[in-house]
This record gives sequence, C-alpha cells and structure tokens, in this order.
Amino acid sequence: MELEQLGQHISRSFNEELEQIRNSVLQMGGLVEEQFDCALKALTDADSEVGLQVAQDDVKINQMELAIDEECSRVLATRAPAAGDLRLIIATIKTITDLERIGDEAEKIGALAARLATVERPRTNYRELRNLARHVKDMIHGSLDAFARLDVQLALDVVKADNEVDLEYESIYRQSITFMMEDPRMISRVMDVTWTARALERIGDHSKNICEYVIFLAHGKDVRHSDLRNLQSEVIK
Amino acid sequence: MPGRWISQIVFVCIWLGTFVLLGLWFDGLGWWLFSGLILYLIHTLRNLYSLDQALRGGKYTPPQMEGLWAELFAEVEKLKTNSRNRKKRYNRLLREVKESTGALHDAGIILNSASEIQWFNPAATRLIGLDPKTDIGKRIDNFLRHPDLVKHLSNPQEEFLTIPSVRGDKGQLSIQVIPYGKSQNLAIVRDVTKEVQLERTRRDFVANASHELRSPLTVIGGYLDALTDDEGLPDNWRNPINEMERQAERMTQILHDLIELAKLDSGESPIPNESVNIVNMIRLIAHEFSDKKDIARVRLNLNTDVFLSGSEPSLYSIFYNLIHNAVRFTPAEGEILCTWSLIDEGVEFSVKDSGIGIPEDMISRITERFFRVDPGRSRELGGTGLGLAIVKHALEIHGAKLNIESKIGKGSLFTCVFPKERIIAHTEEL
Repeated sequence: MELEQLGQHISRSFNEELEQIRNSVLQMGGLVEEQFDCALKALTDADSEVGLQVAQDDVKINQMELAIDEECSRVLATRAPAAGDLRLIIATIKTITDLERIGDEAEKIGALAARLATVERPRTNYRELRNLARHVKDMIHGSLDAFARLDVQLALDVVKADNEVDLEYESIYRQSITFMMEDPRMISRVMDVTWTARALERIGDHSKNICEYVIFLAHGKDVRHSDLRNLQSEVIK
Repeated sequence: MPGRWISQIVFVCIWLGTFVLLGLWFDGLGWWLFSGLILYLIHTLRNLYSLDQALRGGKYTPPQMEGLWAELFAEVEKLKTNSRNRKKRYNRLLREVKESTGALHDAGIILNSASEIQWFNPAATRLIGLDPKTDIGKRIDNFLRHPDLVKHLSNPQEEFLTIPSVRGDKGQLSIQVIPYGKSQNLAIVRDVTKEVQLERTRRDFVANASHELRSPLTVIGGYLDALTDDEGLPDNWRNPINEMERQAERMTQILHDLIELAKLDSGESPIPNESVNIVNMIRLIAHEFSDKKDIARVRLNLNTDVFLSGSEPSLYSIFYNLIHNAVRFTPAEGEILCTWSLIDEGVEFSVKDSGIGIPEDMISRITERFFRVDPGRSRELGGTGLGLAIVKHALEIHGAKLNIESKIGKGSLFTCVFPKERIIAHTEEL
C-alpha cells in the first residue's frame, strides 16, 4: 500500500484528520521515548528525584491515550472509513495501547531506579541493565520511525531484535539468581534489578507489537503471533 | 506603425487590387475578389501553421517568408533562445546551491506553515536520519519527536533548543527555527555534543579545582594564624609570617571569587525570585566597613525602600563589591556616597567616591576578569581582579545595566540600574 493512497479523499478535511491522528500517535511516542530516557538516566546517575519525576509525568501519556482513542472513535462513527483508512484507525488504537503500557513500564523503572539510588551500587554500575536498555531504546525508536515512514523493513528488523532482548533478559535473570544465592544480604537489591530487567523486556515486547501493527497497516496482513520466518516470507510476497 | 506592417498592408492592397482588375477585365468581379481573398487566407493560414510549429519548440526551419512573417519568426526564435539560456543558467545555479548545501556541516530543513518538510540538505540525513526518498511532505515532528521540540515549533520562545541526539548515541543536537518568507521556517540543526561536553568539563574543572584548593589553604591559614599568636616567635620572623598570612588570605579570596564566578557562569537554573531587602543589605555592608580604621567615610543616601526580586547572594555580591572597591581605592580623607533611588527606568544604585580614579582608556576594560588598571596598585590594596567581573555578571542575570564614569585623581561614579520588572514595592512587615 502506498502512503499516497491514504490521501485520496473527496473531503480534504478527512485527510487532515487522519494526518492529525498519525501525528498525535508520534507525539505520544515522543513523550514515551523521553520518559524512557529519564527513567534510564535515573538508573545510571542514581538520581531518585528524576526517577520520581517520571512517575508523575506518566499522567500525560495516559491523557494522550484517552484523547487519541476518543478521536479514533469519533472518526469511526462519523466517517465510516474503509480499507487503508480503517487499517490506520485500527492500528492507531492498538499502537497507543502498547505505547501507554511502555509508559507504565518506564514509570516502574523510574520507581525502581529511585529505590536503587538509595542503596550501595555494584562496581559495574548495572552495566548489563544499561546494555539491555540501550537495545530496548533502539527498539522503541525503530518502531516509531517505522510507523512514521510505514517502513516495513525497519519494522521487521525491530521484531528480529526482540529475540536478542529476550536472550539478554534471560541471562540477567540467571545471573541474579546466582547473586542471590551467593549473598542473601543482596537479595533486595538484586530483586529490584531483576524487576527492572523484566520491565525492559516487556517494553521490547510492546515495541515488537507496534511493528506488527505497522506491517498490518502497510500490507493489510495480520502478522501477530506469527513465527519470524513466516513473517518475513509473508511480507516479501 | 512599424515598417513591416505597412509593407504587409501595401502587399494586401496590391494583391487584392490585381484581382479587382482581373475581375473588371474578365467579368465576375465578385468571384475574382472572392478567390483573391481565399488565396490570401490560405497563405496566411499556412504561415500561421509554421508559426505554431515554431512556437511548439524543437527544430523547425520555416520556409522563406516575406517581411512581416519573417520578422515574427525571428522574434519567436529569439524568445526560444533566451528561454533556453535562462534554463541553463537556472540549472547551473541550482546545481551550485545543491553542492554548497551538500557541503554544509549543519543540517538545514525548510518547513512550511504546517511544519511539513519541503526540502533538506544531505547533512540532515546524516544528523537526523531523514530519507530524501520518502520524507518530503511529512511533518518534521513525526521524526524529531522530543516533546520540547513540538512546543518549540509552535511557539519558539528562545533562539536555540538543545535536545538529545536521535541517532542513538549520547550526542546533543542544537535546533534553531528561523521564520522567513510568507510563512516558511528554516530549521538549522547542529551537532553540539562537543560543545556541551566542553562546557561541562570546564565547569567541573573550575568547581573541583576551587574546592580542592580550599582545604590545603585552610590548613595553611590555620597554622599561620597560630604562629602570629605565638608570643615566642622570633622577631625577624614576624614580618614574613604576617606577609604569608596576607597572601594566604588573598588566595582564599581569589578562590572564593572564582567559585562565585563559576556558579554565575553556569547559570543553568533560572535565578530564584527571592524578595530581597536592599536597604538592609546596603546598611549591613556599610556597617561592616565602618568598623575598619583608616578608610574613607561611607555615607548613605537611601531615597526609597523598595525590594528587589532576584537571587540574594548574587545581589549581595553586587553591592558588596562596588562598595568594597570604593573603599579600597579612596584615601582615608576621602568621601564615599551610596545612593539608592527610584528613577524612570527602574531603580538605581550608585557609588560615588573621591578616590584615585580610573584612566579613561581603561574604563571599558575594568569589568574583564583579572584585569587590573595597574597591577602594582591593586595588588597592594588587596584585589583579585574578579570583583567587577562578578558584579557585571550578576547584574546581567538580573537584567540590570552598569555605567562607569571616572576621572584620574578626582574619583569614580559607578551606577547600576535595575529594571522595573524586578522592583517589589515594599510592604510593611509585621
């Protein structure tokens, strides 16, 4: 599907409404990206103030989700869109749900970072978490760029990257268990690290979902719950 | 009427005249005239056809024509040649513009009133990742999604906006949006990672160095203090010890000034809006100096009791440094007058002294850091060279202006005017 086909409407204002909806999704995405960056900063700089700030700002993301949802419902009711437009609305509604969940996970990371800031930090300064976080950040960014450009190839790359993220999470999880067994006094801190890693892994999953919606939007093929190999062959066809 | 038209009309007259004559000679004047006109019409249509072909462009060599038509064709050929040359010129200009913008280090993006991307140079692809194949016509905030940028686009408050880089690294981008034309905007994006880093390093260095140097100095000062109090100290050591104490004192003062300047410099956070009682402040400072002996008399002329809104420590630096300077450079018999009064532009504080004055050519330079009019004179009198730099900086962040007048041997007048916005009318405090 060509992006231009989205624009062939009799009524020009309908076109603008859809553009506005697309733009608001990306605005919400920008907000979520910033929240994620702040949560990460709170973790690496041991800054509890920033961590708590993230929790407060999550309200804005929730508000945006409600606003965009309402706008989509209105368009469905008044314009009765079809084909590409309908796919856009459907994909938007699903995307903002995942974005809002990413925001929630970022809020959790912020809270955990605020707590971790008050206890002794390991020599590595949570290097594995930061590494995992960098991959996840790229995934969020990639999924939003894919949405902006309807770039199917980029979407596929992000979906692939989720496997890496899952593996990294697994290794952090196993490492945590070892730490807890070695020194039970560290259990509280290590648990927090594990929860943080889990939140990061969940964000990766949500980004992957967004990419699946992008592929759906671009190709009209619902590729959720597909194996990666099937996904690629489906799309290349 | 141009010559070619006259000749054409003459030709038509002769042509028709001939047919009239033929008609008169051979009966059927009407038919002869009619055929004459038809023939002329066909001839004219044929020429029009050639003209049409020539105008369409491409190579078309017209058949030989007479007067009027030949000149028309010449005109058309001239137009075509001009148009061709102009196109060549424009293409060359366009190519040069493309090359030069391609060489630009910074990214330039042209946006229309709806913030949609109209055009961007190759640096934009490098810095932001814009794709020339797909991104034209899309809104810029679909790709640069930072919330601060969105606000900035619709309502540019400050000149520059710094946001984290979108290329995944820890860089920083500086964005400047410049409106031009009817409703277009030019967005310039620069990679300022190095500058930000440098600024941070500089600030950290000054802060660290100052703090690190403080502790050893305190130790030295402490021991020197103990030595001066020691009665058993040999006489020939008294002067050296006193001198060392003075120098240690001076170093402490310099460090203090450096730290203060560094704090003012970094100026990241907006200054607080504390309500500061200036009259009390001036009185306190004057009182501090009245305790000292061998200095000029400090008189106060406080004509108003308005408060100022700003940062209390910074404001204190201003008043303290100005009065301190006056005290330092005025002999004991001299006079110092401090005035605090309301004026049209706001509220004014001035310090007038009858001291040694400042040479005229140096007046513009005395607010430079570490600048001394005469290194000999102010070092003796205990200066660091930073006092006025601090005053100037502190005044700037409060939006105030400094004016200096001075005459060698007669004295100086330092005036600062604080803007109306900073004035808080004094209310009776319980």
